[in-house]
Amino acid sequence: MKAECDHAVDYLYQYIDEELTWSRRLRIRWHLKRCGHCVDAFDFETRLKERMRECGKDVPPQELFDRIRALIDQEATDTQES
Amino acid sequence: MADQANFERDAMEYAQQLYSAALRMTRNPADAEDVVQETYLKAYRAYNTYQEGTNLKAWLYRILTNTYINRYRKQQRRPAEVELGELQDLYLFRRLGEASGAERSTEESVLESMVDTDIKAALESLPERFRMPVLLADVEGFSYKEIAEIVDVPIGTVMSRLHRGRKALQKKLWSLAEQRGLTGPTQ
Repeated sequence: MKAECDHAVDYLYQYIDEELTWSRRLRIRWHLKRCGHCVDAFDFETRLKERMRECGKDVPPQELFDRIRALIDQEATDTQES
Repeated sequence: MADQANFERDAMEYAQQLYSAALRMTRNPADAEDVVQETYLKAYRAYNTYQEGTNLKAWLYRILTNTYINRYRKQQRRPAEVELGELQDLYLFRRLGEASGAERSTEESVLESMVDTDIKAALESLPERFRMPVLLADVEGFSYKEIAEIVDVPIGTVMSRLHRGRKALQKKLWSLAEQRGLTGPTQ
């Protein structure tokens, strides 16, 4: 089991990131069906990755959107005039 | 070739995400606003070079990343690149496992009790070249190939930085969890 656990951990991130080929993926999944410890580790890493998503939810002040739109409109007018 | 007239319609929907990413890069709201604003202006000017049908989000992130790097590398005059040292795989999972003994599922409950500010702080603590791939993969959900294009390094480099960056992030999370007393034995 040890060698298969090491193999699974080596490919853990590529598995979670869905970057593995179908056949590699299958080998990991096969192992996960048989190894509770690796399942726990994979679940943990998956959950951590999900929590990381929450780092992308900061909301800027509305003024930033308004300012960007105004700048682009200004830029568009400038290029038309020149 | 994309039409500049459609730029606002196509690109503005990413402004919130870009701002959030810029905040993780600059670690400062005022600078993040500046970087996003500059990104949009540059993107608008270059919009006729954007190939319609390709990944607009990745295209915008590439401009964002370059804008950030051009602005702040000059200012900081490149802080000494920190080496992360060798870290164990499954760093956080193993530390939490050791701390909780035989108690199962404690690892995940510690993860749940971590506050968003700790996770953000841990991410922001990473040296830039590790922070970027982690941010782009975990927070933004880009593929390795997309990240390689955004930060302009080979895909193998993305993978190794991502791997090491994640381990360093976990080490930081562990120390933050310790500080908060989340790692002690459960009652």
